[in-house]
Amino acid sequence: MNDSMSIPHLIMNASLVVQLVLLLLLAASIASWVVIFQRSFALARAKKTQKAFDERFWSGVDLNELYRDVPDSHEAQGSEHVFRAGFREFNRLMPKTRSSEAVLDGVQRSQRVALSREEDNLNANLTLLATVASASPYIGLFGTVWGIMGSFQSLSMAQQATLSTVAPWIAEALVATAMGLFAAIPAVIFYNRLSSIASRLLGEYEDFAEEFHSILHRNLQGRGGNQAS
Amino acid sequence: MAKRNRRVGYGLPVVLAIVVHIVALLMTMLRLPESEPTPSSSSVVQATLVSDVTATDQAQYAKEARARAAQQQAEDAAQQAAEQQSQEEAQRASEQQAQEQAQAQEAERQAAAEQAEAESDRRQQAAEEAAASRAEAEKQQQAAESQRQAEAKKQQVAAEKRKAEEAEKKKAEAEKQKAAAAEKQRQAEAEKKKAEAEKQKAAEAEKKRQAEAEKKKAEAEKQKAAEVEKKKAEAEKKRKAEAAEKKKAAEAAAKKAAADALSDSISSEQERIANAKQSDQASNSFINLVKRAVEDRWHLPANVDGGLVAQVRVRLGPSGELLAASVTRSSGNPSFDRSATQAVEAAAPFRELQQLDAGLQRRFRDFNLKFTPGDVQ
Repeated sequence: MNDSMSIPHLIMNASLVVQLVLLLLLAASIASWVVIFQRSFALARAKKTQKAFDERFWSGVDLNELYRDVPDSHEAQGSEHVFRAGFREFNRLMPKTRSSEAVLDGVQRSQRVALSREEDNLNANLTLLATVASASPYIGLFGTVWGIMGSFQSLSMAQQATLSTVAPWIAEALVATAMGLFAAIPAVIFYNRLSSIASRLLGEYEDFAEEFHSILHRNLQGRGGNQAS
Repeated sequence: MAKRNRRVGYGLPVVLAIVVHIVALLMTMLRLPESEPTPSSSSVVQATLVSDVTATDQAQYAKEARARAAQQQAEDAAQQAAEQQSQEEAQRASEQQAQEQAQAQEAERQAAAEQAEAESDRRQQAAEEAAASRAEAEKQQQAAESQRQAEAKKQQVAAEKRKAEEAEKKKAEAEKQKAAAAEKQRQAEAEKKKAEAEKQKAAEAEKKRQAEAEKKKAEAEKQKAAEVEKKKAEAEKKRKAEAAEKKKAAEAAAKKAAADALSDSISSEQERIANAKQSDQASNSFINLVKRAVEDRWHLPANVDGGLVAQVRVRLGPSGELLAASVTRSSGNPSFDRSATQAVEAAAPFRELQQLDAGLQRRFRDFNLKFTPGDVQ
């Protein structure tokens, strides 16, 4: 009796629809865990590089030196990407126009592009987590409802409906809901945690972009004043 | 700030995710054996059949037992009669033997070498006859297939040879005791005694013969004949020893026969036990039917604690209808008692009674049900 109530036994004896639902939920669970681990590592690394670049930027190094220091082939990440995009645009615009407004507008635009790319990178695949978190309970519930439907259909043939005839079917059906919750709960928890980390990082990038923009603006004001005078 | 920092690969996360799932699966598998032994009491109400034997049934049983005892007695009497017959035969044979021996001794005293030869022949014949009678007795035992009979006969034959009818009586008493171990001991003792008696007899005969020889010497008649007599007496001893051996062999055969008889009786006993089991199963199924029917219809009063026990006597009609349900042992809680009797009344009639054997039907016409609420509130 107890052996026939074990979870693997229940899954093996379930109907095809319930088995498909369980398979789908297992795939969703595995995918969500892959995303959880991948995003955790990626965000931890992004945090580390952000901290390192912050220290380097504010260590009083010359910006031209900083820009030239890293090779162009290197794909910068985080606030470094924002800095490089903005400084490259600044260097290109400086010889072409005398209007500091136009230069700052160009720099801001390129920084905005870099920021949106960084945002994309940070939030990559987090939508999958959100989807699993919200959809898998419903998918599991669908499996349960389907299983209970089957159990009642088969009960209609039986003469007597005792608890012992209904129980195996319901236990079998409830496995689907359990599986759905098993997939959904970690997805919900890690979605919230990872998205909060990502948004905090994005906030730091934006802060850096504003600070960098203000530095360029100060430089341009000084040059504009020199030109004017 | 190397290129590897740009992207985090998916290889390690996939491996970790699969490991997480395997660990989760193992945890569910490991928890199962722990949860398995937790007992789930499915029976809400315990109704126990206390006893199905009542005064009237006991009277019937007593009658049956008496009839059985009478039958047994008759069988015993038949056995005893057979034994007595065999004993008488053996007695007669032994008496004849004794007479012959006496005649032979008289003849010896009359002192003739030829007579002594004749005597030795007779003794031989007597020994043969005794052996024959023993063989007959053994055959009878086998036919009767009675271990005790056979052993008793052997003992009696031996005892008669010792000319001890008192010993016979004792052995008859021992038979009644029917202790196989004791019988074996007695048998051994009897054999010893017999051997001793034979030795004594031989010694006496020798002494007599010596005295006769002395008389004959005094009379100066045929000293050589006396020597021949002595030799013949020795030969007799040998023959007797041989006869004893033969007897032992015969006894061994009788034991075998007795063992067969014992195995037969064991098999018949097993049959009897199997029959009893069958009837037990039938009665158990009826008991369970009654119990389930009563349990299903038993509504416990609300304010009842678990320790109460009530016993209800149920009397049924021939077709299973309820004649009376009365509380024989009250729980002290009137509402509880009432609920028990009401459960029996609601569960009646028990039509399954008609499907039982006549004997079982009679038993289940009157039985007691014990009501205990158990741990259910």
